[in-house]
Amino acid sequence: MKESLSLVQRLSAHPDSRCWFVSWSPNGTLLASCGGDKAIRIWGKEGESWVCKSVLQDGHQRTVRKVAWSPCGNYLASASFDATTCIWKKKSDEFESLTVLEGHENEVKCVAWAPSGNLLATCSRDKSVWVWEVDEEDEYECVTVVNSHTQDVKHVVWHPTQELLASASYDNNICVYKEEDDDWECRATLTGHTSTVWSLSFDATGQKLASCSDDRTVKIWRECPAESGQGDVSWKCVCTLSGYHSRTVYDVAWCHLTGALATACGDDAVRVFKEDETADPEQPVFSLAAHMAKAHSQDVNCVAWNPKEAGLLASCSDDGDIAIWRFQEED
Amino acid sequence: MKPFWDQNSFLRPVSFHSCQVNGGSQQLLSACLSCDGCLSEEENLKISQQSLEEVERVLALNKKCDVSKHKVLVASVCPQSLPFFAVKFGLDISEAACKLCCFLKSLGVHYVFDTTLAAGFSILESQKEFILRYHRRNHDSHALPMFTSCCPGWIRYSERVLGSLVTPHICTARSPQQIMGCLVKDYFSTQQKLSPEKLYHLVVAPCFDKKLEAVREEFYNSLLETRDVDCVLTSGEIYYLMERRKIIVEELDLVPLDHVLGETGDSVLVRHEGRGSEGFLEHIFKHAAKELFGLDVHEITYKTLRNRDFQEVTLERDGETLLQFAAVYGFRNIQTLVHRMRKGHVPYQLVEVLSCPGGCLSGRGQAESEKEHRVDKALVQQMEEAYSSLPVRLPEVNPVLHTLYQDWVEGQDSSHVSSLLHTQYRNQSQSHSQPIYMQW
Repeated sequence: MKESLSLVQRLSAHPDSRCWFVSWSPNGTLLASCGGDKAIRIWGKEGESWVCKSVLQDGHQRTVRKVAWSPCGNYLASASFDATTCIWKKKSDEFESLTVLEGHENEVKCVAWAPSGNLLATCSRDKSVWVWEVDEEDEYECVTVVNSHTQDVKHVVWHPTQELLASASYDNNICVYKEEDDDWECRATLTGHTSTVWSLSFDATGQKLASCSDDRTVKIWRECPAESGQGDVSWKCVCTLSGYHSRTVYDVAWCHLTGALATACGDDAVRVFKEDETADPEQPVFSLAAHMAKAHSQDVNCVAWNPKEAGLLASCSDDGDIAIWRFQEED
Repeated sequence: MKPFWDQNSFLRPVSFHSCQVNGGSQQLLSACLSCDGCLSEEENLKISQQSLEEVERVLALNKKCDVSKHKVLVASVCPQSLPFFAVKFGLDISEAACKLCCFLKSLGVHYVFDTTLAAGFSILESQKEFILRYHRRNHDSHALPMFTSCCPGWIRYSERVLGSLVTPHICTARSPQQIMGCLVKDYFSTQQKLSPEKLYHLVVAPCFDKKLEAVREEFYNSLLETRDVDCVLTSGEIYYLMERRKIIVEELDLVPLDHVLGETGDSVLVRHEGRGSEGFLEHIFKHAAKELFGLDVHEITYKTLRNRDFQEVTLERDGETLLQFAAVYGFRNIQTLVHRMRKGHVPYQLVEVLSCPGGCLSGRGQAESEKEHRVDKALVQQMEEAYSSLPVRLPEVNPVLHTLYQDWVEGQDSSHVSSLLHTQYRNQSQSHSQPIYMQW
């Protein structure tokens, strides 16, 4: 096992609580974290160290489950178990609550901004996926509410280049949505996982989608060429990484700079996989490039690659910590 | 480690969904009524009891010797249901109505009414209320915007989820179905010298949400233990009954509909303005334009906003906007409306709100495609054409309404107006109760 993951810094981010999620700002200089203490923290570098720059305390009544930066980096969205999604506007080093999106019946599990910056998706334990559109005046309109899953929806993610949305659920399925006529519909259901799908990540081009599950595997899906004229989306599972994780895989992150795939696992470990460049792209092969067994002292909930600095990886855990790692390729 | 119940799928808690109790129809309620725990066990039961089996049971009792169990059956057909039968029968809407009437009477129904009359009351009362609210707008923050009250899915969502942000804004005029219930069980029963419990009131409606409306406490007479509406069946359910009994439409006679006032009534079917949901927006717009600004509006121009189910109508004079109304249909557009309400950014004085995208003609009790769980657009298009083919008549000029205002309500401003034609809304915001287990 090549130990090419080295710890840069460990931060006690959400003390006496869980740290649920970390997200890098689009320019890679800030890291947002959120947790069971209902707070969001913004971390930035001062000299060689990462320090807490700001705490967003009173936005939510319950756990903040995920945070997401807008593509322009000026807004932050936070999804909470209090059933709301808060939109924050960045004003120099501070964040101001701009608006609150309500409507989900219960816990919001994820929020994601589309690359265009105009659309925001949320998903919830109420089984639905919502899309909101925001205009130049920061006014929000509900675009759609889709009920394609039969259970709690854990994660939503936008395609990097197309207006396409994917969601992952406790019902073991992944749904892919597209706009049709004047509404959004589930155009493809990806089945294969045998338990909850916790997270999703597109590769840089969006041709491949990685999913991770309670079934302890990571699956790689590839978009199949569209049927003539139909424009119907079709995805096939082209690779399953099994036998590597001894517990639930809670998060998967595809580095858009290097193509490396990181995973967050309930066995407290962080792993990095690399794709074998000689393999047939239709049948990709991944090998384990790094395995940090005790990355945290409890479940690792999230992994996130820095979008500008290759090899810089953040992880966070039920232990309340954030860990920042450097992944270096073996020569 | 996460709690054990999330680690192992075989210990996965079963999602108790009240849907399962009732098989099919629950899934066909509008999105407004589809959240978990919206309907109580009791409501679920009462809705499931509104079935073909139940109606056949009542009809069967009428054929038995025990006279004490006999009921006079009255069927009120929603004008939104008639276009469905017109398309299915391949006939024009007036003929289809007569054939439907013949079928219902052949089953044993004694009277068949068109609820357009009751809708007329609802429109007139809504118009009046709008004017009153408009005059109060500067000293009553709850006066405007006014939201229409004909859709039970919207009412329920407002009461249960939105609460006092919205409920004080909802027009208190009863919906057409509720007024019909009252008209049949109070006025008509008195005219026929029958006590209300001897009448069984069946409503044929385009959607399933109307079944929930029928079981509202407000429409239950606890003294007599009678409901204003005993059973709602959808257009689809009636059509299914016809198919099951192998009815051949050509063999049905043309039997004209009955009239609440007896012989004196229209022989021609008429409709209200708008595109199939009784046209509350259109009627109130025209009435307000005249009443408040002395302007006669002949044609209404709609501006479509983000999708077909979000439309605006504006009254302007010399570049000044006098009135701005909106029609907001469907769950997603209702969310936008509510979001703006929370921010105080609603520019409209009136919003016609309906749960179903496309309005009442697209109700899932008739517009649902048999093969896929989606609206049959071709069918809806045909129903819209059938509906538009009827001549429009404003409720203001309906002589029957005038008579009823005198004879039944005892005047447009009598004390009975409130009890017979208006209702109240409850704030029952459900607290989001935590489940015993926490799902991550």
